[in-house]
Amino acid sequence: MEKHRILIVDDEVNQGLLYEQELVDEGYDVDVANSGQDALEMAKKNEYNLVVLDIGMPDMDGLETLGRMLGMDNRLPVILNTAYPSYKDNFMSWAADAYVIKSSDLTELKAKIKESIAKRNA
Amino acid sequence: MSELRKDPIIGRWVIIATDRGKRPTDFVSTDQVGGPTSCPFCEGNEGMTPPEIYALRKKDSLANTEGWDIRVVPNKFPALRIEGTVERQGAGMFDMMSGIGAHEVIIETPGHQDGIHNRSLDSIVNLLDTYQRRMEDLRKDNRLLYVMVFKNEGERAGASLSHPHSQVIATPIVPKRVKEEIDGSLEYYDYKMRCAFCDIIQEEKRFADRIVHENVSFISICPFASRFPFEIWLMPKRHMASYTDMTRQEMHELADCLKITMRRLALSLGEPQYNWMLHTSPIGQVPRNPWPDVNEHYHWHFEIIPKLTRVAGYEWGTGFYINPTSPETAAEFLREVDVD
Repeated sequence: MEKHRILIVDDEVNQGLLYEQELVDEGYDVDVANSGQDALEMAKKNEYNLVVLDIGMPDMDGLETLGRMLGMDNRLPVILNTAYPSYKDNFMSWAADAYVIKSSDLTELKAKIKESIAKRNA
Repeated sequence: MSELRKDPIIGRWVIIATDRGKRPTDFVSTDQVGGPTSCPFCEGNEGMTPPEIYALRKKDSLANTEGWDIRVVPNKFPALRIEGTVERQGAGMFDMMSGIGAHEVIIETPGHQDGIHNRSLDSIVNLLDTYQRRMEDLRKDNRLLYVMVFKNEGERAGASLSHPHSQVIATPIVPKRVKEEIDGSLEYYDYKMRCAFCDIIQEEKRFADRIVHENVSFISICPFASRFPFEIWLMPKRHMASYTDMTRQEMHELADCLKITMRRLALSLGEPQYNWMLHTSPIGQVPRNPWPDVNEHYHWHFEIIPKLTRVAGYEWGTGFYINPTSPETAAEFLREVDVD
């Protein structure tokens, strides 16, 4: 069975490692970027099935990264993953497939990843 | 010399402090609003928004695909939900109510940078008609009492995307600011047996120095007690409490008045960022209705607030506003612009 490849974008290095470990255990191939700029470079070079994107990052925030990433491929599924519900008021967040509030329990994030990939492959 | 002025409807005092030295040209905007590379409101990205509730489409185009002139979509991540019942409860001295309501976004045009002052009259009529249609539709839901239509243009005005859009929020309560205005109009009506807004229109026509633009059915003015520099009210000359009472012919007149007013603002102040709010009578039956004669004493209107200054501590703390530009100076500056 084809392994799906996921890009995790989070400026907190440890948070990125946690997601990587959990999602590798779920059977995904996982890359991690620690800034919006790095994420764009990696998305240019590699083909991902989904991106999990933090919003509150220095230099280029997640919403700007989202706009630029979808400017390169507007069919790429992206899940916004943030500690702050207030970014929902920013209509740019609508460009994402889902909006998940960060939690130590990754059940919701994992469910949204499965759902978004399945939806895009349907 | 400063002056204290009282708003005749809600009784709010404003300090017109022209000695603060702000000339109209000091407000000319230099803000640049950059567009994102991919915008969920642009044509071709319909899949990024929830399915449309209403759209004006070209013949044979399918819902949620390209080929639209206006789209209305529900909020993808709503703060208020349309499902459920309105339940009120108390927690000690505090009141709570379930978060029932509707939050919709009107995507005004497929074009990402299509400012209202550059749009065709037909396009503006379509937008105004969409406002009316959404109000008519939301009115059918008897849990909802009020529909607020507003537009934030530019980051300083609270817009998160530069693609032109308006928002509709329907709530099971009447917002405080509107309630104060309806209460004020009732008080005036009880005292004078006339609509305060109709009296304002008569006065403004008599003096003419605060008029920005006027046509057969509408007038835009910088109000006597303007809270902000270049604040504008746009009102129908015919007495109407509800925006939904406007006829199709009047809607064309409104589009003309709105376009010319916004064009004057854009050309004289360098396309400033702004908010506009549509104030109209409640759509539903208010419990223990304090305004049985609202159709007699209230008068719908647009309030347009360019974001030229920031509300500071004194304003937040006291409710007094300090406006450094007199409405007479602002209106004259706007009238001088050649809009052709």
